[in-house]
Amino acid sequence: MTLWIVLGIVVLIVLWLITTYNGLVGGRTQAQAAWSQIDVQLKRRHDLIPNLVQVVKDAMGYEQETLTKVIQARNAAVAASAAGPAQAAPAEAALTQATRGLLGLVESYPQLKANENVKQLQEELTSTENKIAFARQFYNDSVASYNVRRQSFPAVLAAQSLGFGPMELFDMPETEREVPKVVLR
Amino acid sequence: MVGTTDFVAAQRVNRRNTLILLAMLTVLAALFGYLIGWALQSEATDEVAAVSTFGLAAAGAMAAASIGWSGLSLAFGGNLVVAMAQAREIGKDDAPQLFNIVEEMSIAAGVPMPKVRVMETEALNAFASGTSTTNASISVTRGLLNTLDRDELQGVVAHEMAHIANLDTRYMTVVGVTVGLIALVADMILRTLQWGSFSRSRRDDDKKSSGAGILVILLIVVAILAPLAAKAVQMAVSRQREYLADATSVQFTRNPNGLISALSKLAAAAAPFPGVSRATQHLFIVNPIQTFTAKSSALLATHPDIADRIARLRNLGG
Repeated sequence: MTLWIVLGIVVLIVLWLITTYNGLVGGRTQAQAAWSQIDVQLKRRHDLIPNLVQVVKDAMGYEQETLTKVIQARNAAVAASAAGPAQAAPAEAALTQATRGLLGLVESYPQLKANENVKQLQEELTSTENKIAFARQFYNDSVASYNVRRQSFPAVLAAQSLGFGPMELFDMPETEREVPKVVLR
Repeated sequence: MVGTTDFVAAQRVNRRNTLILLAMLTVLAALFGYLIGWALQSEATDEVAAVSTFGLAAAGAMAAASIGWSGLSLAFGGNLVVAMAQAREIGKDDAPQLFNIVEEMSIAAGVPMPKVRVMETEALNAFASGTSTTNASISVTRGLLNTLDRDELQGVVAHEMAHIANLDTRYMTVVGVTVGLIALVADMILRTLQWGSFSRSRRDDDKKSSGAGILVILLIVVAILAPLAAKAVQMAVSRQREYLADATSVQFTRNPNGLISALSKLAAAAAPFPGVSRATQHLFIVNPIQTFTAKSSALLATHPDIADRIARLRNLGG
């Protein structure tokens, strides 16, 4: 009789461990997938900006201060991205600011807005900016719900020993910051 | 700020509800089958047996039919709607902005990129289809593309993406099948009884048993009321899913104003929408058969009042 009770408790504990483990794996996988999406979109932005800058330069006939700023910020972000998106966050935040300046420039010049190539690249860049924001939003939501799950009782008893550490949110500070001095590659 | 990944929880709830609904559908169909078989046997033998062999056989047949029907509609239901609305699949070059917006929303929802389709009509509408996040598609009308600005289009696409992420498309397919089967079975019961009572009156009236008579009256009541009740439940579920999709849409875009201003434009537009039947109307963002909705009661409407939806969105901080 006691044997069966002990056996029953053991089975229950094993079942609980399995469901906890699977739940945490699911949450972590979702967060990791979201993370790689951020990476993809950041790279896409690095690729798009030189094109748009070139097209704008051609259409205006001279190089504006905004354009040099954007290119600087872009190169800084590319250089920083070697260390991974988390370390590149400040540089990417600066690039977001510079990109807004560039899109604002396009908005304020009618001859730019009328240019088909500019329009097309403007839409691509706007969309990429959105995708970065949405990927970050989904990543942070996923991480938040994963962290809540691993810290909730009773999962908290097993999470750490099953190898599920806390995950970090991806913050891109919105404040204006100095464009950092960069060494061009 | 709207909570964390609530739509993941909504997906879970919807998966469970779909299973419960499927089970209820099967039980209901089996019960109907049993009632028919029982009534038929009582009519034939003029005895009300506690356990009817006819009834058991009919119950088994009905259960099998309902499971088979649900499986088929889950496999092919989405394609049918797309074909009926004449939605044509497009690539990125055909409508770059729409394609970008759908991509943005699929990232925000964390689901695979769905197919993008356009319906060549001036009407303003959109719908989502597909029974899982991997075979989903979003269809919008040409009129919508021409009329809405980027933020508004994003709100509408986010609403459709919410239907996909919340698995509403699967849920509503199964609900539709439930209601359809109940209506069909009720119709069958009424026909069977008609035939049964004719044959009895031809036989002789002095032999009829009161037990069989009560059973017949019960059947008639059930057969008349069940489809109406099922329809009302379906419409209530449909309206609830619309509210949830509006809320999830804002969770994706973090911008209620886009959807609010899009809904206002959709409400004001009155272009007719060919290729929509009452069988598919519940899938659209606003009811494509507006004249019908205006006349019908709120109880049987597929969509909540647009003014009400806008009011709820404003509560989210619009």
